[in-house]
Amino acid sequence: MSATLVSSIPLPSPPVETQNVLANESKGLAQSQPKETPKEEPKAIAIPERETKHKGQRESRQKKPPPKEVAKLEENKIPFGQGGPVSGPYGSFTAGSTKGGLSFTGGTGDFGSRFGWYVDGVRRKVSENWLKYEIDPRIDAARRVYIYFEVTRSGQPVNIRVEQSSGIPSLDQSAMRALQRIDTFGPLPPEYAGNYVAVEFWFDYRR
Amino acid sequence: MELPMTKRFVAILCAVFLFATSNILAQDWIRTGTGLGVEKIRLAAPDFKLVTSDPQTQSLASTFNTTLWNDLQFAGIFDMVSKSFYPLSIPGAPQDVHLGDWSVPPPNANMLAFGNVGVQGGSINVQGWLYDAKNTQSPQVLGKQYSEEASNANARVIAHRFADEIIFRLGGGIAGIAETKIYYVSNRSGSKEIWQMDYDGANPKQLTHTGSIALSPHVSPDGSRVAFSGVTKEGWQIQMYSLELERLVAFPHFGGDNYSPAWSSDGQSLAFSSSRSGNTEIYSVGAAGGTPRRLTESKAPDVSPTWNPKTSAQIAWVSGRTGLPQIYTMASDGTNIVRVTDQGYAVSPSWSPNGQFLAFAWVRHYGPGEPGASDIYVMDIASKQWVQLTHDGGRNDFPSWSPDGRHIVFQSSRGGHVQIYSMLADGSEVRPLTAGGENTQPNWSFK
Repeated sequence: MSATLVSSIPLPSPPVETQNVLANESKGLAQSQPKETPKEEPKAIAIPERETKHKGQRESRQKKPPPKEVAKLEENKIPFGQGGPVSGPYGSFTAGSTKGGLSFTGGTGDFGSRFGWYVDGVRRKVSENWLKYEIDPRIDAARRVYIYFEVTRSGQPVNIRVEQSSGIPSLDQSAMRALQRIDTFGPLPPEYAGNYVAVEFWFDYRR
Repeated sequence: MELPMTKRFVAILCAVFLFATSNILAQDWIRTGTGLGVEKIRLAAPDFKLVTSDPQTQSLASTFNTTLWNDLQFAGIFDMVSKSFYPLSIPGAPQDVHLGDWSVPPPNANMLAFGNVGVQGGSINVQGWLYDAKNTQSPQVLGKQYSEEASNANARVIAHRFADEIIFRLGGGIAGIAETKIYYVSNRSGSKEIWQMDYDGANPKQLTHTGSIALSPHVSPDGSRVAFSGVTKEGWQIQMYSLELERLVAFPHFGGDNYSPAWSSDGQSLAFSSSRSGNTEIYSVGAAGGTPRRLTESKAPDVSPTWNPKTSAQIAWVSGRTGLPQIYTMASDGTNIVRVTDQGYAVSPSWSPNGQFLAFAWVRHYGPGEPGASDIYVMDIASKQWVQLTHDGGRNDFPSWSPDGRHIVFQSSRGGHVQIYSMLADGSEVRPLTAGGENTQPNWSFK
């Protein structure tokens, strides 16, 4: 019998620092640094400019100040300090070497934006119930496995199926079992009108 | 290229059909991922605002606030945001809420529970809301209103209910345990009797008055009866206390000594250990009585049965068939025996509500020259992996799972006398529940 700790007690684990650029506490990814002003070399003597011919006052009047330089940001970067709070619990996460992600696409779909707390609950519950020891110990890393299921109004996961296999049967199985182990996610929010919610869950495995 | 007329028509038909079905099947989708670790929800719960100036309001509100905070903190799924981080203006109603103040550091809360308390015309009125602090579009998750006769007990009840609502919503559909009870044995009235208390140790109440010895209480799944073993004229017998009638009710006496009754989760059967055939074996019997059915067969003692609450189809128990007591599991008809522990001295199994874990007391290194302590362990039954929950604190024994599977109540002699403690199922948040006399053998109710 091995003396390893059970890693799957469905209870608190040490808080995971999310590296998510949108959901962490830092205010943004791209930290705009103060622009460096070119230092003048102290001993340098400016070469006097050649005197140009004055062509009358007219010309000097027409001279315009050079346009101010506007710092160009890449569109997906958030300037430092301007990120603000996250509007929903979505985005991508990395934790250690493991990756996961949440995205939401919908038909009529405002479920994710209205009931973010429910989506979060689903994610938490599935990850709690995924027992990694069921996976073949020889596997170090695997392709992502996609599981599809539906959540009924009462919160039961139904129609669970592998949508895209990882190519490793024990990983597919363990992912399926994680869902099958769950009795309920809790009833769907009463304000939600649909009969069920379709969920696509992906599992990334790194040992 | 021009399509022939019919083909074009079919194509259009297909497009129309696809468009129509895509509307019919328009269904919300969530895509989500795992392997992220289990993080807790950061929950802010400012004190509820007082809305009346009734002299009672202050004390009732403080009872309410304390109870709510403790319930939420002990739920095991929240990281409670310290009150010192809260903004200065505390909301009492939705129109006072500025989510922007709560969703950014220092509070940086994911969720915000707030509301108000008032006392009017002898009744306490509470309005409570739960807001998703990071969702400015539609923040409300929960809105509740309670009204009860104004008393401290009712302030506690309302706090428990509101806490349970929050836990139910955010805890993945698992009902909260704030209104559950714990049954236990106490000698504070002179003899060992069966007692009952709230899950947080409040409101202790003596149930039995046998005047002799009552041990190992086990409450029925519907919460109507408590089975226990007590000394009678015919030796140790299984006895039954009705919580509805508040008195002992009839249950057949069997030959020999009978101990440690355990209800199956469907409420249909009781398992217990009996020496009616000479040697102590495990039996099961219908909840109304009838003829016990023998499940084990060995020369060594077989005691302390516990059912798998998920299926009611398996029983774990303690057997001395290989020497020191070890924990075994079997099907509820006595077949398919599997030994679970492999060393030391293992007793008092309790099966977790989801069927995945066994909690038990274990002296892992037992014997001369092996200074072992009795500690609470949890084992994942399928993989036989285990984790130690208590450390360096007296003798710990008799673990019992809470119905949400997130807590364990147990007895410990860490404080000198044997008292009852509860903790999260990872060993954290240990709280003493009892004081005075010796309190042992806790059993957490099914709901």
